[in-house]
Amino acid sequence: MERDGHKNKTRSPQLERFLEGWSIFVQNPLGKIGLTLLVCFGLMAACSFIPPLLDPMYDPMTGVDPLITRSVGPSSAHWLGTDFMGRDILSQLLAGARVAFMVGVSAAVMSILLGCAIGMFAGYMGRVVDTLLMRTADMIMVMPTLLVVLILSSLFGQLNIWTIVLIIALFRWPGVSRVIRAQTLSLKQRPFIEAAKVAGASHMRIIFMHIMPNVLPLAFLYMTFRVTSAIIIEAALAFLGFGDPGTVSWGMMLQWVWKTGHMFRAPYWLLPPGLCISLITLSFYMLGRAMDEVLDPRLRKEAEAE
Amino acid sequence: MKPTTDLILRLEKVTKTYRTKGGRFGQAGSRVVALNRISLDVRRGEIFGLVGESGSGKTTAGRLVVRLEEADAGEIFVAGTRVPELKGRRLKQFRRKVQMVFQDPYQSLNPQRSIFDTVSEPLVIHRMGNGAQRREAVAQALKSVGLSPPEDFFLRYPHQLSGGQRQRVAMARAMVLGPEFVVADEPTSMLDASISAQIFNILLHMRDKLGVTLLFITHSLAAARYLCDRIAVIYRGNLMEVGEAGEVIERPRHPYTQALLDALPRFGQCGAVRRYNTLLGAERPASQGVGCAFYSRCGVAQRLLCSTQAPSLRELAPGHRVACHYAEGPEAGTATTEACFYAT
Repeated sequence: MERDGHKNKTRSPQLERFLEGWSIFVQNPLGKIGLTLLVCFGLMAACSFIPPLLDPMYDPMTGVDPLITRSVGPSSAHWLGTDFMGRDILSQLLAGARVAFMVGVSAAVMSILLGCAIGMFAGYMGRVVDTLLMRTADMIMVMPTLLVVLILSSLFGQLNIWTIVLIIALFRWPGVSRVIRAQTLSLKQRPFIEAAKVAGASHMRIIFMHIMPNVLPLAFLYMTFRVTSAIIIEAALAFLGFGDPGTVSWGMMLQWVWKTGHMFRAPYWLLPPGLCISLITLSFYMLGRAMDEVLDPRLRKEAEAE
Repeated sequence: MKPTTDLILRLEKVTKTYRTKGGRFGQAGSRVVALNRISLDVRRGEIFGLVGESGSGKTTAGRLVVRLEEADAGEIFVAGTRVPELKGRRLKQFRRKVQMVFQDPYQSLNPQRSIFDTVSEPLVIHRMGNGAQRREAVAQALKSVGLSPPEDFFLRYPHQLSGGQRQRVAMARAMVLGPEFVVADEPTSMLDASISAQIFNILLHMRDKLGVTLLFITHSLAAARYLCDRIAVIYRGNLMEVGEAGEVIERPRHPYTQALLDALPRFGQCGAVRRYNTLLGAERPASQGVGCAFYSRCGVAQRLLCSTQAPSLRELAPGHRVACHYAEGPEAGTATTEACFYAT
C-alpha cells in the first residue's frame, strides 16, 4: 500500500519510514493474518484466468458442463460442484475474487482521490469554501448508500458494474475528506507552509507539494477501510438482484443460490462465496488496523505494554 | 560597515489587533493589541534589532513586513513599495527580495523534502536558472551558511540533521534568491548558545559579504548588542526606545529597557553592579489603554501623568528616541549593588 522509495543510496524519509513501518506491520498478528489472506485472494484472482483456458465449459459465465443440468456436489471434474445449470462453482469463485478486487480497489481509489482533494481544499482554503464543502460532505454522509443505489438501479434498470463502482465512490468520500481536512488544518499552521509562502509558492504548489505528501499515509490507511465497505455494498447489491448481470461476483453467486432455492440444500454452493466475502473484508480490515498501528504510535505503545 | 542613509524598511503607525474568538454569532471576542501605532525606519545595510519579551508583538511586526499577515492600519514600505497593497505578480516579485528565517528549525522545514528540494524551491518558484545553475546556486547558498561540502547535504532530509544544521538550511533557503532584506525571527531561540554564536556570525557574514539588510527579532538584549547596529525595544505592542545599539545598552533611557538590563544574568563578576531598579515589585492596575503601556510595572511612573497620557517618542540624543515622560531626569542607574555572582 505504501510507496517504496526509489533512492537506495540515501535513505529518504519515505523509504526509512516504510522500512520501519513494515517491521512494525509484520510484527502485528493482525497485519500478518490480513496480509496472508490477502495474498491468497490475490492468487485466486490471478488464477481466475486459468480454468476457461483449460476447457470452455469452465467459463464462469457461459461455460456449461454438457453432462450436467442441475446442481451437483464436488467431483473430480468440478472441485466445488456446479450450479443449477452446470456451471463450475470454483471458476465462478475465482472470477468473483477478481471482481471483488476490481470493485473494492477502484471504488476505494476513486473515493480516496476525491476525499483527499476535497479535504485538502476545504482545510486549506477555510471560510466559505470549507463550510460549503463540509456541509455537502455531511449531507452525503448521512445518506444510506445502499438505499440510494437501490433506488437508482430501480430507476435506470440494471446498473453496469462500473456505474456501481462510481456510485460507491461518490458516496464514500465524505469520511475520508473529514479526516484529511483535519490533518490539513493542523499542517496549515506549521511554519514550513509559511516558509513556502514567503518563498512565493502558489496555493496549488503548497497544497500539492507541501501538504499532500504529509497526508498521503493517512489516505492510504483510509483506503483499506474503503475497500472493505465497497466490497460489502457490491455484494449486498448483487445479492438483492441489482448487480451487474454480466459479471460474476460473490454476491451474484449467493443470489443465484437463493433464487434457485438451493439455500439449504447445497452448502457446497452457498458457503464458498459467503466465506470469501467475509474473509476478504476481514483481511482488508485487519490490514487497515495494522497500518493504523504503524501510523499512530500511541496504539503501538499499548500493544508493547501488554 | 557604515550604514548608508537610504531606507529599506519604513513602518508608519502600524497597528495590528487580534480578535479572540467570541460567540457563535459574531459577538465581539476580546481584542488583543499586538502592535500599537508602531513607526520604524530601517536603513539599507544595517542589522536592526527588535527586542521585546514574549507576546510583545515583535514577531507580529516581522510577519507583517514579509506579508504573512496584514496590518489593520498604517503603512509599510519595503524598498519603496507599499507592502499591504501588493498582489499577484508584484507580490511574487516582492517575495524575491524579502525573505524570512523562522524561529523553530524543527518546524520550518518540510520533513518530506530533501535539503536540495527545500533550498532550491524558491528558485523553482521564481523560474530562475536551469538545472545546473540551480545546483550551483544551492551549493553556493549552503556553502555560505557553513554547510560544506554542500553536495553531501543535497539528498539528506531534515530529520538527519541537527538543530543548528537545520537552521542553516533554513537560512540558505532565505539566501538562495539573493534577497535585499531578511527578517530573522528569533533564529537562535531553539538552539544551544555555542550554535547560536555560529548562527550570529553567519548573519553578520550575510550582511557584510552579501549586502543584506536584516531585521533581527530577539528577546535577548545580549544577542542584540552583539549583532545589531540599532535596536528598538518594544513592549506590549508599543515602541519604547530606539537608538544605536551601544547607546541603548550603555545609556538606556526608558525604565523598561533598564529593567531588561537588570534582568540579564551576570556570572563570575564581583564588585559593584550597576542596577536601575525600575521594575515594580507588585504590579498595579493597568492604565486602561490611555496611558503608558508600561505603567503597571514601572517604578518611575507617576500616577497623574503616566496613567492618563501615553508618552510619545522624543529624541533625547541624536538618533536615540524614547517614549517616556521621565526619560530625561537625572541620569538613572546610579544605584549599584554590592554583589558577587559565581559561575556555576
